[in-house]
Amino acid sequence: MRALFDGHLLTVLVFLPSAAAALLLLFPERRAREAKGFALAASVLELGLSLPLWTRFDLVSGTFQFVEKAEWIPALGISYTIGIDGISLLLVLLTTLLTPVSLLYSLTHVEKGVRAFSISFLVLETGVVGTLVALDLALFYVFWEVMLVPMYFIIGIWGGARRIYAAMKFFLFTMAGSLLMFLAILYLAVRNRAVTGEWSFLLSDLVSLTYPTMAIQTVLFAAFALAFAIKVPVFPLHTWLPDAHTEAPTAGSIILAGILLKLGVYGYLRFAMPLFPDAAIRYAPWLGVLGVIGVIYGAFVAYAQKDMKRLVAYSSVSHLGLVVIGIGAFTSAAMTGSVLQMINHGLSTGALFLLVGVLYERSHTREIADYGGIAGVVPVTTALFLVATFSSIGLPGLNGFVGEFLILLGTWTSNHRWWAVAAATGVIFSAIYMLSLVQRVFWNPLTREENRRLPEIRVSELVAAGVLVVLMVWIGVRPNDFLDRLRPSIEEVRRSVATRKVAAERPSRALRIRSGTGGVRRERSLRKARDSSPLRGSQ
Amino acid sequence: MTTSFLSFGPNDLAAAMPEIVLAATGCLLVLLDAFAPSARRWLATLSLLAVAAATWLLVAAPRGTSFAGRYETSDLTVAAGLFAAATAAIAILVAKPYFQRTGGEKGEFYALLLWGHLGVSLMTRGLDLLVVFIGLETLSLSFYVLAAFFRGIQASSEAGLKYFLTGAFASAFTLYGIALLFGKAGSVRIAALARPELATDPLVSFALLLLIVGFGFKMSLAPFHAWAPDVYQGMPTPAVAYLSVAPKGASLLVLYRVLTAVFQAGMPGRFQTALVVLAILSMSLGNVVALAQRDIKRLLAYSGIAHMGYVTIALAVFGREALAAVIVYFFTYVVSNGGAFAAVSALYRDETKPHPVGLLAGEGRRTPFPSAVLALCLFSLAGIPATAGFIGKFFVFKAAIEQGLYALAIIGVVNSLVSIGYYLKIVYVLYMREPLDQERPPTLAPADRLALGLCAAGILALGVFPAGLWDLARRAAASLPFGR
Repeated sequence: MRALFDGHLLTVLVFLPSAAAALLLLFPERRAREAKGFALAASVLELGLSLPLWTRFDLVSGTFQFVEKAEWIPALGISYTIGIDGISLLLVLLTTLLTPVSLLYSLTHVEKGVRAFSISFLVLETGVVGTLVALDLALFYVFWEVMLVPMYFIIGIWGGARRIYAAMKFFLFTMAGSLLMFLAILYLAVRNRAVTGEWSFLLSDLVSLTYPTMAIQTVLFAAFALAFAIKVPVFPLHTWLPDAHTEAPTAGSIILAGILLKLGVYGYLRFAMPLFPDAAIRYAPWLGVLGVIGVIYGAFVAYAQKDMKRLVAYSSVSHLGLVVIGIGAFTSAAMTGSVLQMINHGLSTGALFLLVGVLYERSHTREIADYGGIAGVVPVTTALFLVATFSSIGLPGLNGFVGEFLILLGTWTSNHRWWAVAAATGVIFSAIYMLSLVQRVFWNPLTREENRRLPEIRVSELVAAGVLVVLMVWIGVRPNDFLDRLRPSIEEVRRSVATRKVAAERPSRALRIRSGTGGVRRERSLRKARDSSPLRGSQ
Repeated sequence: MTTSFLSFGPNDLAAAMPEIVLAATGCLLVLLDAFAPSARRWLATLSLLAVAAATWLLVAAPRGTSFAGRYETSDLTVAAGLFAAATAAIAILVAKPYFQRTGGEKGEFYALLLWGHLGVSLMTRGLDLLVVFIGLETLSLSFYVLAAFFRGIQASSEAGLKYFLTGAFASAFTLYGIALLFGKAGSVRIAALARPELATDPLVSFALLLLIVGFGFKMSLAPFHAWAPDVYQGMPTPAVAYLSVAPKGASLLVLYRVLTAVFQAGMPGRFQTALVVLAILSMSLGNVVALAQRDIKRLLAYSGIAHMGYVTIALAVFGREALAAVIVYFFTYVVSNGGAFAAVSALYRDETKPHPVGLLAGEGRRTPFPSAVLALCLFSLAGIPATAGFIGKFFVFKAAIEQGLYALAIIGVVNSLVSIGYYLKIVYVLYMREPLDQERPPTLAPADRLALGLCAAGILALGVFPAGLWDLARRAAASLPFGR
């Protein structure tokens, strides 16, 4: 048993939720409570099994760990190759944490189709964890798309009034981006075959590809970047987000904002940058500028919202803009800060959506104007909301501060100093809209009589939110526990990009490849020379 | 030529055993229906057995050619036979409960289905254009009758008449093309077309275009698609499950055979352009018009037109790898499209009326199993990964990228995106709308349950473990004579 877990821990983590979902199909439809309990137990088990990843993770190595490899479609070199580095480690743990949190919250809130709801969440968890551990591009694409289907059902069946529109928009937007990425993946594999004579979809093989022209690399990069930018979402591709977040049920919003958005940035770091380093470097300024626009635009629109959930949704656009700036700045500190900020955003926004959900379930309104002065009525909810707010606006001592500080510092030391200025204004704006939200909802005079009898938070909800608060404090107080795990991996990503840039500055080599076998042989020797490249993993 | 067409030996008969079994069982079914009414409840089982026996005979038969090189038994024909038999099995399984609901179960239905299946078999195995044509006509005549199966219902009679008139017209194109090829090559054998000078002959090109029109009609490839929505609407759904898959695969295989024989050195650019145009037209027209459909059978007809556009991409790419992609595509198409029609057959309980999508409102909660299978089939048709449909598209687009047909591939994926619009619309109606009435739906017949379960299992199995299918397809494609 131990041996099984030691060798195949990641596989177990990927497929345990799906297996649980399959078992749930056997539950009778009427056994709603048992189905909920079973799904929660499965996700807690998953969380427990994922903890060894944290303890056994090698802090020194920046390469992939817990690697597993098996054939899948051998004729095309498509393999089931999975592994994690520091970046995926933290995101996997965030996923295994937020899934039980959402299910715990949903224990008392979902009434119709409970079994299907639980199945959707578990399948979604398989999709997310699979996406985060896949090191083969075909495998990655499969998991990437598999995530869409359960999320479509979660929004469309259990969502709010405009759920159908939101679900459709979410599905079509995401699909539009990823279909072009699919063709780009095929192109990479076909080109790899033309150059090396072997089929492979492995990231570690494809990173050593060179491209005939810069234009081709740019087009391929654009196909990948578009898919990821829609997911993040980068301004101006963000319009699906407010609808999806607002209409999704609370648990869906937590997963959507907490995890799914991060996969865009993750995909960019993991795939787009190492595969297309020249294009990634050339267009990084554009990315930074879009990030800046996102930060400021998101903040302004958030401030104007009358609906609490929509406000939190737009705050995500602003916060993810900050993450994008950090990636675009491309300094070590900024990139580390960006990845940590993704985790922070997952925790704080997850908590905010959860608490907005708590209020909504009790008074059935999300209008800010319908609240006011309830701090005395629901003190525990208020306290939790305050902590989440402080985390979101980057108060020192909590997690948000660490991430934002690193991003600002790293951006200030990069070539794009003014981005840091713009990003800093975004941080200030976030304080304005979040604190004004707290003011209008919890303080101000109590105007509506029925709010005097607002029930306090339940124990299950308290536990769900409490876990998130504990983590906010942990990251805020001991950030190095997390940063130590990130740094080596971030350095590897940066190095893979930098290495490749030098190699590709001699474009003539790419042309020689096409002229007969001599070019191919040269290409092979070059590949061998670069086999020590960081993305090859420790297999 | 030493042997005349009519002289054949025991080996030839052994090779034709699958078709003989199908033909004989068809006759037996009609006789049983007429003279032993008490045997009627065994008709479906008998036809299933006949299909199984024919498939087994086909798989077990020694590889090679017979009837003086006019008839083929190879990995390719076995793959085609398996795929067609799977379609036939789905159709027969859902037919029995279908006719219990609608009434009017007759021996003819199964007999005609078996004869149609026989025609498909002849098309895939014939190395002689006349054998292929006889197969095509056997298939067509059986399905002209099946289209008009409900004589009392106007839509059904209309479907029969439309299919017959347009189908006869298309057959004339095919026959004219064959005649021209015969005139040029001096033989109706496909092997006789493999002469370098024919590849550049304008008359041969014209003849091939005629064949593309004729078989494109059977495939419901735009712009030869107009019959499909009307015929699907009027024809009994189980027959549509067969007609919408197997004959299309057989037609594409015939085109592949003829084109590879003529163009051994590679397809000329103008031909490729023509096929690319047909592919784009079929994908785009099918998908865009499907968006506007309210009737699920019409919607699936237009979706089928679009899917034939996707496989035509592989025909335009040409070569063995692309043929393997086509074979994979059709295997995935059996489970997804066959499954979708099986689910439609199980979900709509009143056959005398049209099949509006809106009637499925809330079925996801009322009849969970067929609804879930229908949703799965639709996701598969849309090409979502981890389903069979994705694997089919994966290989087709891979073939296009390998050939450098980037624009075609991009148009293809944009079309996939459009198609998601109408597939999701059905999923939305199934799961996100309130049921129209609260009365308990009738329980699902075991045969329906079996057919749907098999399709769902097939979609997931092919979607998650496609390696075996790809190997089978590659072996099949390798046995195609000529070509690269």
